[in-house]
Amino acid sequence: MEYRSQSVAKLYFIAAIGLFVGQILFGLIMGLQYVWGDFLFPAIPFNVARMVHTNLLIVWLLFGFMGAAYYLVPEEAERELHSPGLAVALFWIFLIAGALTILGYLFVPYSGLAKLTMNELLPTMGREFLEQPTITKLGIVVVALGFLYNIGMTILGGRKTVVNLVLLTGLTGLALLFLFAFYNPDNLVKDKFYWWWVVHLWVEGVWELILGSILAFVLIKTTGVDREVIEKWLYVIIAMTLITGIVGTGHHYYWIGTPEYWQWWGSVFSAMEPIPFFMMTLFAFNMVNRRRREHPNQAAVLWALGTSVMAFLGAGVWGFLHTLAPVNYYTHGTQITAAHGHMAFYGAYVMIVLTIISYAMPRLRGQEAADPKAQVVEMWGFWLMTVSIVFITLFLTGAGILQVWLQRYSENPLPFMVVQEKISLFYWLREIAGLVFLVGLVVYVWSFFVKGGERRVPAAEPVA
Amino acid sequence: MSEVFTKSMARNIYYGGSLFFILLFLALTFQTHQELPKRDNRAAITEKVALGKRLWEENDCIGCHTLLGEGAYFAPELGNVYVRFGKNKDAIKGFIASRPENGVPGRRSMPQFHFTDEELDAIAEFLKYTSEINTSNWPPNING
Amino acid sequence: MAARSSGNTAARPLPGDLAIWFFILAELLVFGVFFLAYAFARAGHVELFDHYQQTLDRTSGAVNTLVLITSSWFVVNAVSAIRANRADLCTRWLLAAMGGGAVFVAIKLHEFMAKAEAGITLSTNTFYMFYLSLTFFHFMHVLMGMVILGFVAAKAYRGDYDADHHTGVETGASYWHMVDLVWIVLFPLVYVMH
Repeated sequence: MEYRSQSVAKLYFIAAIGLFVGQILFGLIMGLQYVWGDFLFPAIPFNVARMVHTNLLIVWLLFGFMGAAYYLVPEEAERELHSPGLAVALFWIFLIAGALTILGYLFVPYSGLAKLTMNELLPTMGREFLEQPTITKLGIVVVALGFLYNIGMTILGGRKTVVNLVLLTGLTGLALLFLFAFYNPDNLVKDKFYWWWVVHLWVEGVWELILGSILAFVLIKTTGVDREVIEKWLYVIIAMTLITGIVGTGHHYYWIGTPEYWQWWGSVFSAMEPIPFFMMTLFAFNMVNRRRREHPNQAAVLWALGTSVMAFLGAGVWGFLHTLAPVNYYTHGTQITAAHGHMAFYGAYVMIVLTIISYAMPRLRGQEAADPKAQVVEMWGFWLMTVSIVFITLFLTGAGILQVWLQRYSENPLPFMVVQEKISLFYWLREIAGLVFLVGLVVYVWSFFVKGGERRVPAAEPVA
Repeated sequence: MSEVFTKSMARNIYYGGSLFFILLFLALTFQTHQELPKRDNRAAITEKVALGKRLWEENDCIGCHTLLGEGAYFAPELGNVYVRFGKNKDAIKGFIASRPENGVPGRRSMPQFHFTDEELDAIAEFLKYTSEINTSNWPPNING
Repeated sequence: MAARSSGNTAARPLPGDLAIWFFILAELLVFGVFFLAYAFARAGHVELFDHYQQTLDRTSGAVNTLVLITSSWFVVNAVSAIRANRADLCTRWLLAAMGGGAVFVAIKLHEFMAKAEAGITLSTNTFYMFYLSLTFFHFMHVLMGMVILGFVAAKAYRGDYDADHHTGVETGASYWHMVDLVWIVLFPLVYVMH
């Protein structure tokens, strides 16, 4: 690495991967509960396993984004981080607060946790993905402000590249939109309306700016293609993201009590949300094709290309399949939703974090790229996880189609629980795929400890 | 393509396009808020309903169920459960109160929350209120 | 800073910056999809659509069509002017085009206010939903187009363009023509055809 303060990223990346493992373990618990209904009941009921699974996902991705920022911003800005000390302090605050929250979910009944944390003073608990006690949410805001201050000051005093500015815009948007998590009216329709201002405008909005800027950074570094070309593409991609995604929020406003014109506006604009993802695929492959060098870190290049494909498939294609109102009328709130959600989150956000870790971690450890044997193991991890997610998605899609047919569409619709029993084969298959995913994750983690092999592409002299 | 395709034009489209659609979205949001009173059943939001919503949240019902199609997919949709249970609050209250402490062996199980009668009534009222929101004829049938 | 256009116009199939053409394509795609949605919705509610179409102010719509076509002609003249190195004339033609846009905006606002006074909103019925959505969306594009022409006019006034370097003018002109084209489809489709 070029700047010593980039080393703080290592802490964030290690925490990210650790929390990722936790997320998957709880995912497997949930998958088993789908078919073995009272597994771990009442010690860990399904909803507790779920909030641990989803909250760990979001938190580890945030650690990943922060690590990515701490790594790439100094390099882009061509100066040291404003305050490495603050970065380390915020790391521990975030990690400890997060850990305490997760332990709270597991060891205290949720309503007890609400009383313990004085939820009644400003009630924000009990919404999906926003299960954190209000005090945790306030802590997140503090950590986010500190983080933005640190990164912002670094950029302010250094080179303001497009990559830096787009990343900062995405991260600032993330922080600002999170404030809507504090708005929890008694009016259920308004509650839901603004909840999506956090969730949709995150993952189909500002998070795409973060994704795009990290991808652009990795492509600049690994392909050697002119920055001007890459940054131009980045602008076009994020323009299309916001042009389609902002009004595209309307695809969550079909059936929640909001006016019916959203069925038209939401369908038209959300149908075009795959476009920026498709452009990202073209962008990634085009830049790699036009590369001016063979970078020794082939694993990172694989992750970058893989991200662009899987994000398009998971977010773009699977999203499109159920975004039009006439289709969504039947698929809303079914396993179709779960299928899309898993491939989209993995393809776009899990993979971009693993991409930047793949690129940056060797450099943080003093090499231009990991040893060839380590890269091979890492690539095995890539394929095992990616193919597993595809199968998880396919199985959930199968479950979803059958569920929609039996419970929503057919002439004699069946009750929810009856249908769940009938589609349980798909759940068993999904769980097996999930186990393979875990194997892939273990292989991936192991790759960080593998050494040796002969480089076909010579690495540059050891990085300081 | 050696067309003149400049970074600054791309940047301008990003700025202009984003601002345009933010403004449009805010306009639609404003319009939505004007329409909502006719659809969101707000007249039915009594203190009891508000308490019911608070209990719904503090017991994380959304962690297993969906409400108007949003939430978890482990247990049934509850936006229309009031109708599904024959517009009978007692049926809802009875169901919640009768969940076995240690679940049903081998089957997906719902916790026993030990609610008071007042709390059960509040939850039922909340679910009744929810069932009367105009959701454009969703769900497609009684099963939710 | 205006981008440099190549001197050899024969080799360039599209005037102006290519980025705007990606954007124009995207715009045409959205409007196209909206128009298709309109056609689809109309097919399911022919009587409703025919009935409420009668309540639209066709005169205003026709006048607005002429206004936009005229302003597009002004823009064509602006491009010719700068190609002949007449930045001063270019500026004036662009201002005239913006004036045309302003007339369109005024007439449109009058139309919207009349509907608002009659208590018509996006939720009144499907026809009005489409009418208001399509015309409002287009209206916002006219405003955006005027902003773009304004920027281009300012740069022309400052002397940023000449006969060899005026991609910005062509870019702005292309966008304005697109806005005009959309209206030329929208007006007959929504106001007239039954």
